[in-house]
Amino acid sequence: MSTPENKTNGTPRIGVYVCHCGINIAAKVNVAECVEFARSLPYVTVAREYKFICSDPGQELIQQDIRDGKIDRVVVASCSPLMHEATFRKATLAGGQNPFFFQMANIREHVSWVTFDKEMATLKAKALIAGAVMRVARHKPLEKTRVPVNPDVLIVGGGIAGIHAALTIADSGKKVYLVEKEPTIGGHMAKFDKTFPTLDCAACILTPKMSAVRSHPNIILWSYSEVSQVDGYVGNFKVKVRRKPRYVDEELCVGCYECIEKCIFKKAKFEDEFNIGLSQRKPIYIPFPQATPLVALIDPETCTEFRTGKCKKTCVDACERKAIDFQQKEEIKEIDVGAIILATGFKIFDATRIPRYGYGKYPNVFTSLEIERLVNASGPTGGEVRLKDGGKPNSVGIIHCVGSRDINTNRYCSRLCCMASLKLAHLIKERTGAEVYNFYIDIRAAGKGYEEFYDKLLKEGVHFIRGRVAEVSDWTMTADEEGKLVIRAEDTLIGVVRRIPVDMVVLAVGLEPSADADNIRRMFNISCSYEGWFLERHPKLAPVSTFTDGISLAGACQGPKDIPDSVAQAGAAAAEALALIDKGFVELEPNTAFVQDEFCSGCCTCVALCPYSAISFSADNNRASVNGALCKGCGTCVAACPSGALQQNLFTDEQIFEEIRGVMNYV
Amino acid sequence: MPVWRGWDKIKYQAQLDPAFAEEVTSIPGGEKLFDCIQCGTCSGLCPLSPYMDFTPRKIIAMIRAGFKGEVLSSHTCWLCASCYACTVECPKGVKITEIMYATKRLAIREGVSPKRFAIPVLAEEFFRDVESNGRNSEGRLIMKLYLKTNPFKALKQATLGLRLWSQGRLGIRSDSIKRKSELKTLLKSLEKERMVRSRRETAHAGEAK
Repeated sequence: MSTPENKTNGTPRIGVYVCHCGINIAAKVNVAECVEFARSLPYVTVAREYKFICSDPGQELIQQDIRDGKIDRVVVASCSPLMHEATFRKATLAGGQNPFFFQMANIREHVSWVTFDKEMATLKAKALIAGAVMRVARHKPLEKTRVPVNPDVLIVGGGIAGIHAALTIADSGKKVYLVEKEPTIGGHMAKFDKTFPTLDCAACILTPKMSAVRSHPNIILWSYSEVSQVDGYVGNFKVKVRRKPRYVDEELCVGCYECIEKCIFKKAKFEDEFNIGLSQRKPIYIPFPQATPLVALIDPETCTEFRTGKCKKTCVDACERKAIDFQQKEEIKEIDVGAIILATGFKIFDATRIPRYGYGKYPNVFTSLEIERLVNASGPTGGEVRLKDGGKPNSVGIIHCVGSRDINTNRYCSRLCCMASLKLAHLIKERTGAEVYNFYIDIRAAGKGYEEFYDKLLKEGVHFIRGRVAEVSDWTMTADEEGKLVIRAEDTLIGVVRRIPVDMVVLAVGLEPSADADNIRRMFNISCSYEGWFLERHPKLAPVSTFTDGISLAGACQGPKDIPDSVAQAGAAAAEALALIDKGFVELEPNTAFVQDEFCSGCCTCVALCPYSAISFSADNNRASVNGALCKGCGTCVAACPSGALQQNLFTDEQIFEEIRGVMNYV
Repeated sequence: MPVWRGWDKIKYQAQLDPAFAEEVTSIPGGEKLFDCIQCGTCSGLCPLSPYMDFTPRKIIAMIRAGFKGEVLSSHTCWLCASCYACTVECPKGVKITEIMYATKRLAIREGVSPKRFAIPVLAEEFFRDVESNGRNSEGRLIMKLYLKTNPFKALKQATLGLRLWSQGRLGIRSDSIKRKSELKTLLKSLEKERMVRSRRETAHAGEAK
């Protein structure tokens, strides 16, 4: 991008454009009066009003005035800079002037929307216009700098969102690093049996994608690994990835299960994390048969060799390929990437936080994820829905909104539990023929084919009781309640309290940000909403990108999301990353800090304060200097510098003082 | 054939009081009335809801819709044992117990609390006794309660009463504090302050509109 030279010679000539914004501004601010006032200000040669200055004809007004030589600097009094600063800078450039000879006065968000009194609003608008005029007169022409973009992409999280994003980017010919903290990719979806509303088999649609990831020449899959450090900036991130030791060589292991069979533990006796503790595994294990990569790993917490050093190591003898290596160490990989996609997913709500539902107290109270494993054909019971004692349930109660829509736990609706509960209700009824009762507050079946699925369940004879469950207990009042769990809830549509005895209770637990979301957020320097979900740049118009350029979000790390939405967002995130990479360069805003060498005393106060490590100190000349490519223009160093040597483009002391003078002096 | 009079069962908008909900929300504790999502957790937890003519959830819906007469003359709030189970577990933080207190106060003020029903009578008599004597005398309170609700029951309990009295467990004499006039002044000034505050609040509400 070539920016025109500073075409001013001598006194600035400023054009002031006051926007009506329909009635957003005009209803509270007397626009005509503001324009009249602007004409009286120093340097102002043109002052106009217009209904919508952001529209094409509005921008044309500015461009024409520049072309006609009437003005060389622009002030627009309208909305917030976040909304339209970029628009008007572009218009200024299109007119043939340096885009930084522009200043915005925010008379909508800061004035008309928040001021009751019309006179006061007009007065405040005038003051802000005067400030902007005085400031823009001191503006200097600035250049955006260009930095090349590294074409590789890092994707954090190998659930369905991460997998989809990785495949999309890799298919375009770009290199992808997919980092997953668990021993296998697949995420939560790998645990499901069927998916709503079509009831297609989760494994049948997921595992082909998982093996595609494994075999794709452009994807480097690092499972059982975590990102430990992130430096750099958009287009040029430097990332450190910690590869945890599996104690089995990934290159050599073929997943033949020989070592597992020959392990000195004849019976599996340790809690199997993949089956949420519903079954057991050995110290050496493969999470599930379709695990990707299909590589065994040893859990040093339970392995006898690691605990005592006196194991017969039958696994080592069993392995023909000599893949087992007890000496394996943690490895740190350093990579350079241009874009990052976070797809770190969610965790389920801890149901013990609501004691009145009896989870952890009554053995036959399950979470929905546990039931997902029970109905799964490759799960611990081979797809049979069984009570803890092995019996078949004759009646099942499904409690919706556990840990959702509740100020005592999570205020938000977890969005997918309604449909997941309906799916489980269908599967339980299909597999066991049990009477299934759904206790719901509202059924939220908004999605393609979702309402139809609800209709189907109503016809199947699944019971729906509108009422949030008060209590699950084993306290019986009638003979038929003996030995059962009793669910007590008001049937709000009938208006009476009902007690329903069931054999099994399923808690449709909500979604929460994953346990390490906070660490991830800090490491990647992105924000979160108050519940801890990663924050998107704009809820409607930038739902995938974050406030940190070059980092986008996919899947449930941004908020509860079902599979179709996660995949859709993953595609969008991939497109964002590709758009950045394909452009090949990024333009950096010139509002960076710089050191005035003659004033710098070399005290180094700024060096430690910079959150982006953009300031370096040179012992040779005893001066600090700022790396413009790393500086984000936060202003911390400028404020901290004791000798005033640090200044920031677009926020120099002179510009700020002039703006204040403008605000104070003219109204 | 009896004449079908189903239209009488229709609730006409003109029969409702649209200002009733605001009356309740303006009472401390009633602010969150409109947060209710009608999930029924309160009614399910309430140990007394089976005895109520309307469940607590219904009462909230009725207040919001303006069923003033039905709500204030219902037995629901008088059966509330103030166990606070509903308030603790309400997923939206609605202070249901406080709303029950609010409807009790409104019912007394409007004079529509259920007649010959022990709990409101007890509440009123208790307060009256404390207001005039500064003390509450159990014996007299029980007598008044029976007389105003079911005098025959008093006869049934007479022997028990006499036995308690003879053991010194139940007084008949009216207890009172020494300087009743000072209590009266205190209560009067409190009442005055309340009036001033409520007048100021109505004035503010008017300004905001």
